[in-house]
Amino acid sequence: MAAAALCWALRAARQVLPLSCPRQVRSYHVDWRMLRDVKRRKMAYEYADERLRINAIRKNSILPKELQEVADKEIAALPRDSCPVRIRNRCVLTSRPRGVKRRWRLSRIVFRHFADHAQMSGVQRAMW
Amino acid sequence: MKVEVSYRKKLQQLKASENKKQAVNKLEGPDSESSMRQGITENTQRDKPLNPELVKAASAVASSLPRNKKQTESELLAQLRRHEETTDEQKKGRTINIRNVISEMTVKRQSPAQWGARISSRISLQLDEDGQRIRPERSSTQSMDSRSLKVGKRLNIFTKASTEPEHALKTVSSPTIWDLEFAKEVAAVTAQPPRNGFEEMIQWTKEGILWEFPIDNEVGMEDDAEFHEHIFLEKHLEGFPKEGPIRHFMELVICGLSKNPYLSVKQKVEHIEWFQKYFEEKKELLQEI
Repeated sequence: MAAAALCWALRAARQVLPLSCPRQVRSYHVDWRMLRDVKRRKMAYEYADERLRINAIRKNSILPKELQEVADKEIAALPRDSCPVRIRNRCVLTSRPRGVKRRWRLSRIVFRHFADHAQMSGVQRAMW
Repeated sequence: MKVEVSYRKKLQQLKASENKKQAVNKLEGPDSESSMRQGITENTQRDKPLNPELVKAASAVASSLPRNKKQTESELLAQLRRHEETTDEQKKGRTINIRNVISEMTVKRQSPAQWGARISSRISLQLDEDGQRIRPERSSTQSMDSRSLKVGKRLNIFTKASTEPEHALKTVSSPTIWDLEFAKEVAAVTAQPPRNGFEEMIQWTKEGILWEFPIDNEVGMEDDAEFHEHIFLEKHLEGFPKEGPIRHFMELVICGLSKNPYLSVKQKVEHIEWFQKYFEEKKELLQEI
C-alpha cells in the first residue's frame, strides 16, 4: 500500500515538477511598441466576453433604445486598450507594422531572408 | 563465564570427554531416534542425564582444581552438556536449523517511513537505454538453503493469522507531504540531462512544450456534456420575464448558443447568467419605460 502510494507520488512528481516551471515565456520584445501591442492583446482577451455581450445589446432592434444608450456608455467606459481594434499585427521578429504576412507573422524582409536560406518549410521561389 | 583452568587440566578434560563420547554414542543411539520422532528441541537434550562416567571424570577434575570444587564441578558438567549437544547436532547433519529458528521469530513491524526508504532503495529510477528501469539485483532467495522450498515444516506466515500486518499497513493514508517532497527530491536528483535529440523531445513533451503525436484535436477540451445540454437551453431562461422584448432577445441568444460548437456548456450557462445579472441591475430603468 505504501509502496504503491510512493510509486504514484514518484510518477506524479516527475510530471509535476517540470510542469510547475512556466512554459515558454518571451522575455524580450524588440521595442516598446511591440510591448504595448502585447499588453493590448492581453487586455482584449480579458474583456472579450464582456464586450461581446454589451455589443449584442447595442446592436439589435428588439430592446428599447434607452437600454441601448446605457450600453453605449458602458462600453465606452471600458479601458481603451481592451478593444481589439487597437491590436496591430506586427512582425514577430522585427516589430515591423507593415508588410506582415499573417500566416507566418513575419515581415516581408525577414520572410524573404529565411526563405532564401531554406529555413521556411514548404516555401519555394516561384517560377512559372 | 569461563573457569580458569590451566593447560594441563584442559588436556585432561579433553581426553576425558573424548573417552566418554565414544561410550556415550553407543548408548545414545536408541535414545536419539526416539527423540527425533518426538521433535527434537534443546530442552529434551538437556533433560537427558549425562553419562555417569563423564560425571565421575568431571568430579575428579574438579577435585584436582584448587578452587571451589562443587562450583567447578557443576560448571564443567554444564560445559560437557553443551559439547554433547553440539556434537550430536553436527553428527545428525543439522548444523543451524534455520526453520526452527525462524518459526520462533515474529514479524518485525516497521514504520511507513522506513518502508518507504526500503522500497525506494529497491526501486531504482535510472533508465536503461531501452527506457526500462534497471532492477536492483536481488540475491536469490533460493540460494540460502540447498534444499527445495517445499520441503520442511510450515512456517505459517501466509495464513489468516498473518493478515494483521497487512491491515496495519492499510491504515496509511494517501501520501503525506513528506512523501511528496521526497519524491520531488528524488526526481530532481535523478533527472539526467538529455543525451540526444529524442530525449530532449521526450522531456519537452512531458513539460507540455511539445504536442503529442499523432495530434489529437481535442486535447484539453474535456466536454463531458451530452448534446441535449448544448441545444435545449430553455431551462436556463427561468429568471427572465415571460413576455416582452427581453424574452424575445434572450430566445435569440439561446438560439445562437445552441448552434455554437466552440463553447462548452459551462461557458454558455455563464453567458446567460451574465445577461440575467445585467438585466436585474437595469430593472429600475426598464420599469420607467
